[in-house]
Amino acid sequence: MQKLLLLVDKISTWVGHAFSFLIVALTLLVTWEVFSRYVLDDPHAWAFDAMNMLYGTLFMMAGAYTLAKNGHVRGDVLYGFFRPRTQAAWDLLLFIVFFIPGVIALTYAGYYYAAESWAINEHSNVTADGPPIYPFKTVIPVAGAFLLLQGIVEIIRCAICIRQGAWPSREEDVEEVDVEELKKMVHVDGKADGG
Amino acid sequence: MKIRKELWFGFSLMAVILATVLIVTPWSHLTDAHLSREDLGIFGMLMLALVVVAIMLGFPTAFTLMGMGVFFAWIAYRNVNPDLANRQVLDLMVQRTYAVMANDVLIAIPLFVFMGYLVERAALIDKLFKSLHLALARLPGSLAVATIVTCAIFATATGIVGAVVTLMGLLALPAMLKAGYNIKIAAGSITAGGCLGILIPPSVLLIVYGATAGVSVVQLYAGALFPGIMLAALYVGYVILLAKLRPGLMPPLPESERQVALPGFAQALSAGGRNAVIGLSRGLGGRPGVDRRTVWKQLFVALLPALLIVGVLTISYRAATAPVETTDTSGLEESGIAAPAEDSAEPADAGGLQEPEGAEEGGLQEPKDDEAKAASEPAQPEAAAASAAAKAAPQAPAAEERRPVPVWYWVMLAVGVAAIALTYGLLSWERLEVFKMLLSSFFPLALLILAVLGSIMFGLSTPAEAAAVGAFGGFLLAGAYRYVTHLGGPAGGGAAWTTVREMGTIVKESSFLTAKTSAMVCWLFVGSSIFSAAFALLGGQDLVERWVLSLGLTPFQFMLLAQFIIFILGWPLEWTEIIVIFMPIFIPLLPKFGIDPLFFGLMVALNLQTAFLSPPVAMAAFYLKGVAPKHVTLNQIFAGMMPFMGIQVVAMALLYAWPDIGLWLPSVLYGR
Repeated sequence: MQKLLLLVDKISTWVGHAFSFLIVALTLLVTWEVFSRYVLDDPHAWAFDAMNMLYGTLFMMAGAYTLAKNGHVRGDVLYGFFRPRTQAAWDLLLFIVFFIPGVIALTYAGYYYAAESWAINEHSNVTADGPPIYPFKTVIPVAGAFLLLQGIVEIIRCAICIRQGAWPSREEDVEEVDVEELKKMVHVDGKADGG
Repeated sequence: MKIRKELWFGFSLMAVILATVLIVTPWSHLTDAHLSREDLGIFGMLMLALVVVAIMLGFPTAFTLMGMGVFFAWIAYRNVNPDLANRQVLDLMVQRTYAVMANDVLIAIPLFVFMGYLVERAALIDKLFKSLHLALARLPGSLAVATIVTCAIFATATGIVGAVVTLMGLLALPAMLKAGYNIKIAAGSITAGGCLGILIPPSVLLIVYGATAGVSVVQLYAGALFPGIMLAALYVGYVILLAKLRPGLMPPLPESERQVALPGFAQALSAGGRNAVIGLSRGLGGRPGVDRRTVWKQLFVALLPALLIVGVLTISYRAATAPVETTDTSGLEESGIAAPAEDSAEPADAGGLQEPEGAEEGGLQEPKDDEAKAASEPAQPEAAAASAAAKAAPQAPAAEERRPVPVWYWVMLAVGVAAIALTYGLLSWERLEVFKMLLSSFFPLALLILAVLGSIMFGLSTPAEAAAVGAFGGFLLAGAYRYVTHLGGPAGGGAAWTTVREMGTIVKESSFLTAKTSAMVCWLFVGSSIFSAAFALLGGQDLVERWVLSLGLTPFQFMLLAQFIIFILGWPLEWTEIIVIFMPIFIPLLPKFGIDPLFFGLMVALNLQTAFLSPPVAMAAFYLKGVAPKHVTLNQIFAGMMPFMGIQVVAMALLYAWPDIGLWLPSVLYGR
């Protein structure tokens, strides 16, 4: 069972990692666009749409990844003080009450939303001759499906935790505040500074 | 039994909310077959209360909002037309989601976050802290002041509170404790300083507020600049005052800690006199044991501020006197370059009579390319500056079609001359060393921030574009720092290759972190926009509005009430949740009281500083506790933060009393 959970974790993480490189693309695209507009005097009409699509795809597809790493913001008033079993019980309840209906509705609605867009071969109307927009809309059901998959895994985790009294393990990932890493940073710099 | 107490606190809070809702709700109405509009409004309030309780239980907020929004929107639609309800809810959901995906304001969030992670990994905070600490060594409480300034600058560039507080906890806390500083003050200055990043633009908080409230992010940035600087200045002022009044809390540093080690050539040359510029100029003539190329290099560095000033002065001269036809475009662009330079001269003034900062101020206002030559004679700085002024003067009649030189330019020139006279007159060898350290840590960061802010405020680019270019700049900055570090380190010849490999890792990790942070914020946005749509559909908004209006508040009382509620919400919730859930409720009320949403946003941004500092969810305190020595307790950290929270309240009062602190800059730039 644990293996299966970690496999789904891995899938979510892999997808999240793959799509996170869109931020590099976005940075480069915008930097180039600014350069092109001011220096080469050659602005592109499609840049606006492209920016939006990169940004939207980035955060939507990273949703499951963030869930897998427990990265969605929680109100931490009581949660941190609960025992793991209590945490898991509340999580389990709220996953079933809030998460599952919400995400299923999103995926289902997104599927028809995207299907309509494909059917009419929809193009962006922000600028004349805008780029096709149906792939972008397809992101909604796809991201929703990954999120749902990861959500089911989280529910199973809660169940395991209720039975065992401790949270099953997760895959490691980069942390925003990685104390070891930060310590190294300060230390290395201190040496290079030479006092 | 601390844990018990926390749980009791939380549960009793929840019990109070639930009990209030259960008692106030007129259940008899709701059990009727048909729901009137009033009843739906009550459902809206019920939903709001439930969501606060659900968030406190600790389930990911984005999905709490989404689930509740779907459920209550369905109730609202069903009440109107049961047949269409399912279809309408699904449409509402997907359209709200798509609106967040296609939101051109929110694009800036991942880009600023990415820039922050890259700058953070440039690993320059150590140098920044050390050089600022040396530069400010003469002030009372200098370590605490340097901590706050470092925090403010670094937090502004990165915007990552957790990382800044952790880094400073590793760096500044041991230094302050070693110097015999009071634990509470040390902890307070780190935590309070680290949180400045969410207020001083470019900050993500203001983007989220702008997107929620429909206020221009550009104007918010312009508006938040001075309140942010004011808050930082108040912190610094408080620390200096305290150190003056009670030196026991912050003993002055021993002489040995303030000493700057002079390199060999400087020791050789300093025999000839204290003034670095004069000494270096003499050194050009050749001295035993001193390499002449080194002297040239040092002289060039020492005169860098002068070179920079020439640029600024020339450009502002051209802008000020440009022929009228071309003013529209060139004037805009050039003042865009000149004005941020003036901005950065301001903190230098605030820094007092401190020398290296004086050098910066001088650096931003004056001289001439050929001043290097002028200085190679035994240059009295006054003479050099005077010759610069003399050269500037004849230019005016030379350009016939140019407009006459305005008065402010002469004032600026006079200030520049005075500053440069003072700077170079006092530039001792130690100060030159400190200046060089600042040059490699403080100025690149300040320049990055000013370039990003400047291009946004002067309308050269949108926030998203500036953020992207800033991220690119952050990448170059990180690369340059890593390269220099490796150049001096054991890697030696392979420095370039090591740097490239390291930058690969940095970009990869920063991308992953950016993806997670943006997903967190933007999914929260998806959830909250579905939630607030449901709230509006149920008529909860109407109910709130009627209730608030029935209280008959004056605008001042309303502002007080709103800020008080936000302040209280800051205890259990984080700023993202407060803004995306509660701002949609407050914003529609503002016009009723004649309050500018921009001004309200600035007040909220100041207020939410406290969200990081107020227990029990004071993230800043926990980050600091995580790296602090064992004997520093969480209670000491909390106690240390209290005076700074008090200062935040004072800052809010000041901003309310003189709204121009915030609104002046937007009014000048955008004619609001």
